[in-house]
Amino acid sequence: MSKRGCGSPEHLIHRRLFLEGTMAGASASAASFSGQFSIPAFAKTTQRAAKKCILLWLCGAPSQFETWDPKPGVETGGPFGSIPTSLPGVHISSLMPQCAGIMDKLAVIRSMSTKPSEHFQGIDALTRGDTPRPPFTRPILGSVISQQLGQIDSPVPQFVLLDPCPEGNEFKSFKAGNWAGWLGAEYGPVRAGGDYSIPNLDRLDSISDLDHEDRETLRQFLSRKFENDQRSDAAGALNASFQRVRGLMSCAPLFDLNQLPEEDRNRYGRGAFSQHVLQARHLIENGSTFVMVANGMPWDNHVYQHEMHQMLVPELDNVLFQLVTDLDQRGLLEDTLVIAMGEFGRTPWLNEARGRDHYPNAWSLAMAGGGVDGGVVNG
Amino acid sequence: MTKSDLKAPEPKRVKEWKLPSGVLSAALSEDGEKILCGCLDGVYLVDMEKSEISKLYAHDSYVSSVEWLSDRTLVSAGYDGRIIWFDMQEAQEIRSEKAHQFWSWDLAISNDRSILASVTGQYLAGGYRYEPAAESEPSIRVYEAQEGQLLHKLPHVPSVQAVAISPDGKSVAAGNLMGEIRIYDLETGNIQYQWTTKDFTSWGIIKSHSYLGGIFSMRYTPDGDSLLLAGMGPMRDPMAGNGRQLWQKWDLATDEPKLVDQTHEGESGEGLMEALAVDPDASFFVMGGRLRGGDWNAAFFDLNQGHRLATLKTGFRITDTRFYNSGGTLLVAGATGQGKPKKDKSFSAFGRIELYETAPQDS
Repeated sequence: MSKRGCGSPEHLIHRRLFLEGTMAGASASAASFSGQFSIPAFAKTTQRAAKKCILLWLCGAPSQFETWDPKPGVETGGPFGSIPTSLPGVHISSLMPQCAGIMDKLAVIRSMSTKPSEHFQGIDALTRGDTPRPPFTRPILGSVISQQLGQIDSPVPQFVLLDPCPEGNEFKSFKAGNWAGWLGAEYGPVRAGGDYSIPNLDRLDSISDLDHEDRETLRQFLSRKFENDQRSDAAGALNASFQRVRGLMSCAPLFDLNQLPEEDRNRYGRGAFSQHVLQARHLIENGSTFVMVANGMPWDNHVYQHEMHQMLVPELDNVLFQLVTDLDQRGLLEDTLVIAMGEFGRTPWLNEARGRDHYPNAWSLAMAGGGVDGGVVNG
Repeated sequence: MTKSDLKAPEPKRVKEWKLPSGVLSAALSEDGEKILCGCLDGVYLVDMEKSEISKLYAHDSYVSSVEWLSDRTLVSAGYDGRIIWFDMQEAQEIRSEKAHQFWSWDLAISNDRSILASVTGQYLAGGYRYEPAAESEPSIRVYEAQEGQLLHKLPHVPSVQAVAISPDGKSVAAGNLMGEIRIYDLETGNIQYQWTTKDFTSWGIIKSHSYLGGIFSMRYTPDGDSLLLAGMGPMRDPMAGNGRQLWQKWDLATDEPKLVDQTHEGESGEGLMEALAVDPDASFFVMGGRLRGGDWNAAFFDLNQGHRLATLKTGFRITDTRFYNSGGTLLVAGATGQGKPKKDKSFSAFGRIELYETAPQDS
């Protein structure tokens, strides 16, 4: 038995028990990560009781007219029609027939009105809750939620950003500090998806499992001691990073799209965004608290508005339907808030390039679950 | 400016009209006195003699194509997937056909006005890289033009955005988002040619990993031996709209279609090209569209040598262009931006029709 830190019994570590716990975690299957927790009943309770969130970030800003707030027949209405929904009197775009059938589970806000009309400022305002306050950096929504509601010491990352097309959107240049701001880098996201594979998650063949654990236990002991003796924040941050990497190594299968059930992959649709929304569901089911799915900036249709929305909106329609339905059927919707939104809306009027430009004055978003009443349309 | 043997035309605008809504297609009557306009909000008639603009009827969405069938009947196709035959004298619809579940992107009519073809297709994600999903309905429908009898339902890969009928009325060519061209024999319905040019399609390196662009207009040369294509060159950011103004000429007189010419180096700016018109005397052609970068949005090209002969800068996006009067008259249709609403909440007229005199001469 080793003694560390302040000497409190809570800080005592039993190497054998520690190894048993981590080895159990490492052997857990991708389909169920409750094995990460030493007491399965506790794991289940923890997963179910905690509030979670999946944010479908429609980066670039979708048109409200081609989604939640159609205006067919007016000069600015665009070429797509509207269809009735399961809510009497409420119509949405004809590009969204599946969501039309689950409007009783959705809360749609058609009266969003914000100030920033450029992407970066819009994203900042919407995800950080306010305009910048230099020299401080406000933490982004996922960092706040994972810090407030996340599972302490969970090997599964609490804040995950899935972004299969990072090139070109506003998040690419973010450093860890840009995300978590004053909360500290440990509350930044684990970033994956598309070109962002997570490298070096496999243990070297030259090191046995036992060696690996021995080394880690020794490293942890020494660095904790250093951290406590020297009151070193740097050592603390380093320890947090090691913990995160260890968690990632143990749950690497969660980040492997190919391990998701084929039937689910087909049901969600084969596009990169759809596949990563499915992965988001999988992460939430297995212990993540906040998963944000972006896909580049495809909604910024200053040109080809209708040519792009003919494809993007049906994809959104399907994944939102599948996600909300799955969470509902699994008993997870009550505690999982799903949000689909961009940073603003698009102009009613068409520009010369057959596109719609930025429009923060009046736009729409949709939510489901997490205690939010469904069947509500505001605005 | 030109190394062509042709004397450069000097297009001179002689008439112009503003229409309430953007114009996607326009056709001049045989007597040269009326112009049909397919607009975002319906079909309009411009009576040049009376200087009147009147709305004839509407589709349930944008009107993508209009054609004269005779001096009193017309046909239109729209984003509602419908083809409508209309009698102008009676001012009533003759027939309405739900041709497609999705848009009619384009409609072509044979020179003798006996056959028409309409193309459709919704681009839906079919794979991880957003390869287009297979068609859910036949992408090409061919009708007997006067009576509306369906002649062929022909397959393609969505979205099929441009169509043309050969001068002899025996073949139909259709081009799609991915730059794939299919030519079918209209007697048998069998495919004659199938090939792909990748030069018109963008796959987004940045902003969006999806496809955009493709072939937006196609026209046969008067001898039927070649096919002209128009669109925009690839872009890193597929939504920048800054691809090269691009045409290509494909030779069909050989066993396999062969690229024989395309926009010459140094003769293009940036912007989507949506319209092609070929001079009936087979001397030159015009390509038009949007000006994103450079100094023209319509240009005359030598049909045989490909050199640019003359340019136009119209100040609006060109959606359709056609020659009349043996190439002596050029009709140009299009739209400006819609602009913000006025104080009374109405919008300024943003559809545009212009007529040009061209008068090219051999040197």
